[in-house]
This record gives sequence, C-alpha cells and structure tokens, in this order.
Amino acid sequence: MTDTAPSAQDSWLAYVWPPRLRLANSMAGRVAAAAALSVALSALLVALSGHNPYAAFAAMLKGALGSPHQIGFALNRATPYLLAGSGVALCFRAGVINIGAEGQIALGGVGAAAVALHFPASLSALAVVSALAGGAVFGALWAGLATAIHLGRRVHEVLTTLLLNFVALLLVQQTLAGPLGQFGAGFLQSPELPRAAWLWKVPEFGAHVGFPIALVAAAALSFTVWRTPFGFSLRVAGSSRRAAAYAGFSAPAITWSVMLIAGALAGLAGGVEALGVQHRLIEGFSLGFGFKAVTVALLGALEPLAVAPAALFVGMLEAGAQSMQRQIGVPSALVVVIEGLTMLFVLAAMVRRA
Amino acid sequence: MIDFLAAAIRIATPLLLAALGGILSERAGVFAVGLEGMMLMGAFASIVGAWAAHSALAGVLLALVGGATIGVVIAIVTVRFRADNMVTGLTANILAAGLTSYLLRALAGGGRPIAIHLTPLPPWPIPKLDQIPVVGPLLFSLPPLTYLAIVGCIGLHAFLLRTRTGLTLRATGENPEAAFASGAEPMRVRVLAVVACGAIAGLGGAVLSLQQVGTFTDGMTGGRGYLALASLIVARWNPIGAALACLAFGAAEAFELRLQGFGVPVSSYIVQMAPYVIALAVLAGLGRSSRMPASIGQPLQWD
Repeated sequence: MTDTAPSAQDSWLAYVWPPRLRLANSMAGRVAAAAALSVALSALLVALSGHNPYAAFAAMLKGALGSPHQIGFALNRATPYLLAGSGVALCFRAGVINIGAEGQIALGGVGAAAVALHFPASLSALAVVSALAGGAVFGALWAGLATAIHLGRRVHEVLTTLLLNFVALLLVQQTLAGPLGQFGAGFLQSPELPRAAWLWKVPEFGAHVGFPIALVAAAALSFTVWRTPFGFSLRVAGSSRRAAAYAGFSAPAITWSVMLIAGALAGLAGGVEALGVQHRLIEGFSLGFGFKAVTVALLGALEPLAVAPAALFVGMLEAGAQSMQRQIGVPSALVVVIEGLTMLFVLAAMVRRA
Repeated sequence: MIDFLAAAIRIATPLLLAALGGILSERAGVFAVGLEGMMLMGAFASIVGAWAAHSALAGVLLALVGGATIGVVIAIVTVRFRADNMVTGLTANILAAGLTSYLLRALAGGGRPIAIHLTPLPPWPIPKLDQIPVVGPLLFSLPPLTYLAIVGCIGLHAFLLRTRTGLTLRATGENPEAAFASGAEPMRVRVLAVVACGAIAGLGGAVLSLQQVGTFTDGMTGGRGYLALASLIVARWNPIGAALACLAFGAAEAFELRLQGFGVPVSSYIVQMAPYVIALAVLAGLGRSSRMPASIGQPLQWD
C-alpha cells in the first residue's frame, strides 16, 4: 500500500469514508473499520433475534477480561491462532495459499502427545522441548506432503492442503483408536500426558507459556520477512512470480521453505494446545483452528507481528462468547459470524490491482 | 448389488448438484471453494422453509435463495473487489457455518438449537418405467431432487456446449477481454454465474437435509462441498464427467458402509479417508494434463 491519496477505485472505503482521512487509507485503519463493521452487523443480528446487543457485547467483554482467569483463557485461546496464523501469513505473503493449517495443527498434537507418552523425560524442560519439537516435526511433515504433491504433480496448493486436512483429522482419530488411545475412555482420547511435559502456567491467570513463545516466533518471522534476503525473495515471489523468476529466485525453493516453516509452526500450535490446555490428546481438540489461523493472518494484514493483536481479538471474542451465551442467551456461534464477516470485509478492503 | 448402487446414487446426488453449480462458476472464471457454505446454507434454509411454510416446495425454493445469498457475497467480494477466490470461498464457508449455527439457536430463542424433524421426501416412482428390472428401481424410483440433478446435469452440458449464453460464459472464463470485445459483459457474467452456482449448490444442500435426513444439524455438509469441488476438477469441468466422479465417490462411501455392516476388520477411519485420498490421487495423476479455464481466479479489469 502506498501513502499517496488513492483514486476512487482504490478502496471501497473511500465511498463511505473521506479519502483525506489517512486512517482509512492505512492498512490498520481498513482492518479496524472492517472489524467495526462486522461487529455492527452482528449487533443487528443480535437485535433481530430479540436480544439487547449492548448487553450482549457487555457480557462478552466482561467474559473476556472480567477476571484473571478469563484473561488467561483468552491468551491460551489466542496462542495456537497466533502460531499457526503467522505461518499462514508467511505463506500468503509468498503467494502460497496454504489452508492446511487445520491438518498440520491436528498432527502436531499427535506428534507432541506421541513424544510425551513414549519418550517420557523426568526433566520438565527436556520433556516439554522434545514434545513440542515432535509436534513441529509432524506439522512440517504434513505440510511437506502437501507441498510435494503440489510441486511434483502441479496440483493447486489449495486443493492438496485442503484435502489433506480431512485425511489428517481421520488420521488423528485412527491413532486415538489405536496406538495412542486410552482404552475404555468412552470417547477417543489419549491417556493423560506425564506431568513433566505440561507447559508451565502463570498461577492465578492459568495462562501457559505458549503465548510468549508464539510472540517470539511471530517477531522472528517478521524479521525474516522484512530484514533478510530470503524475506525479500519471498515478498518478490508473492507480488510477481515472473519478477521473482527474472531475479533468479527459485519459486519451488521459496514454496518449500514457507510451507515447512508454516507447517512446523502449526504443528507447534497443536503441541502447545495438547501440552498446555488439554494435557492429553482429544478427538477434535483443534477443530476449526486452521481456519481461524487464516482469519487472523488476514486480519493481521499478513504481517506476522500484526497477527498477534488479531489473534488476541479472536481469542477474546471466543472467551467472551461463552459467558455471553450463559448470561444473555445469545448463541456463542455469533463469534463465528463476526469472524466470517470481518474476514470478508478485510478481503474486500485489501483491493488487488489487476 | 442394487442396494449398493442405489446407495451410491443417493450419496452422489448432493455432490453432483454442488459440482454442477461449481462448474458454472469455474467455467466463468471464479474458483468455487465456497460450495461447502452454499450447500450448508441451502440445507439450513430448506429445512426452515419447509418447516415454517409446511411445504416441501417452499423449502426447495428457500434452498435456492439461501445458497444464492452466499453466492452473492462471494460474487461481490471476488468479482467486484477482486479478492482472492480461494480465501474468499473459504471465508464464506466459515460465515455460513456460523450463521446457520447461530440462527438455528436464535430460532429457539436461546442457547439450544431448535429441533425440526420432517419426513424426508419420498421417492416418486415413474409409472411403468419403475417396473423394469434393475434399471427401474435404480433410475425411475428416485426422490424428486435426484431427478432434478440428473436433468440438470444433462441440461448444463447442453447449455455450456450448445447455447450462445453458454459460449459467452466459457469465453469469460477463458479470455474475458475477448468476451468483452465481442460484446459480453464479463463482470455481469461472472456475478450471475457465481450466484447461480450458489442456488444450485444450495439445492444440493437441500438434498441432504430435506430429502435424505429431514432435519438440519450444525455443519451437516461435513466437507461434501470440498469433495464436489474435487470431483468437478477431476472431471475437467464437464457435467457428465462430474456425475461419474460423484458416483465414484458415492460408491466409495457406500462400500465403506458395507464393510462396516459386514464387520470386516478394517478401521473405519482409514476407510473414511478413501474419498479424499482418491481425489488427491486422481488430481495428482492428472497433474499437468488437467487444463483449467485459462483466466480462472484472475480478477477483471474494470473502471
């Protein structure tokens, strides 16, 4: 985005927002406007269903920030979104539409649980690090499979990543019904992971150490994108494949790197969720996480560091939604509507030049 | 054997309708990743419509409207605002999942989903023809929307290859500048194609909810929209081929149900992977030879 005043076609927001306001022309302004618009639209939806939108959103805010425990819950919720989302942002920047985070996260959970259960370490740091590494490796392997089919057979990456998501979810169920499962549990889950592998938590808040890890990862990615030759090459590839080829950057190498990094981060997200929140692997533990990762990547305008506030926004929405449903009776699925609408507005606001 | 084939046809029907819609959209140059959301919206709208108006026909009409609504959203964001087709489709799927789940609960006024149970649509046997052995029970004793899917499949084939409008639509997907030069309006063609895609895929959702189950549950399409997308690509954007691909997926799933029924010691999770793995394998097998509509996913110039 340039800072020059846009022509009328540049942004649809220019129709409803005077173009002279710099805020509307900056990416942050557009994203904020998109989020505000979708919250307003969903307020309408709440009103239509016969509830007071003000009361609903007040209950939501209180649910998200009302107590240390709630804040911790929101932070924990935001952690996998930030980890996987910054990886997705990296891929999208390079023009690789990776929507396979869903499966990569799920398999990351398998990897972490498998390492924690089968190679128990008495030293906590060792147990945690090895389990998280297991998660990252599994996530990267799954992303690598999608990449191999994509590059090797020229199948669109959206299709390979998407179809492998379904396979991955079934694979998780298969491992829980077999090698990793707990017999007689009634539903598909692993035995409880050894305590040494649990993530360290801030006492009163219940927030685990995953969020700071995710922040560091996002910062590292941001540095990579903006301050390294590799970051430059992937940005060039993202804006024009032909320019990248002309400059001598290898498109397959870039695709491989961003996919493996994103896969490892998504796998890490799955591992963090298993070690920090569930303390075991449960069927469907990460359902919808991969699509949330795409949401926050777009909300963060594909800038890894800006994905952090986006992930926090979504994490808080979800933390608040539960208490909104309990207190006011507004279905918590409203959150998904808000997420969907926000994403659509952001997509519309990031006008591409043809 | 007849039971098996009948099950394959039953499972293939919603996939086929969605795939037909998707062909319309992709042939006009817009990736149809939003099929899942269109189906889900159609499934929801048809059940609510049939329940509120006490009429299956109202349900079917509302399914068209529900699916088309998602089509309108996708058309505006991708065609008008030139956003990425894939991500927009995916987003529309999330929106549809949230909206149907929210409305299902809001209708009951609280946190619990409203329970609607209707009788699934009965088959309409065609007199005399349904007496033919084998073919009769398979093809001439089907529920109404299944006939519609078969007719629609042949109709779409004729429309795309034999009519002027169909030619314009294909031209828009291949080379919008040329279509524009010959007097067509690529933007309008794409918007209409995506909206029609939504309506038809919505009908596919109605097959699931109204015709086969008689109720709506959260996320009941369960990835069928994505399978429909895979099948239309496997079929190289050809309606008849899509019907065959959907039947193959239907047969795979029917086979899986059989295996479970016979207690064959194969993990059901592994067997459930079959449709997705088959889709991937076929796509990988086609590889370079599968030629997409040339300008698919590319935004239009406009002023």
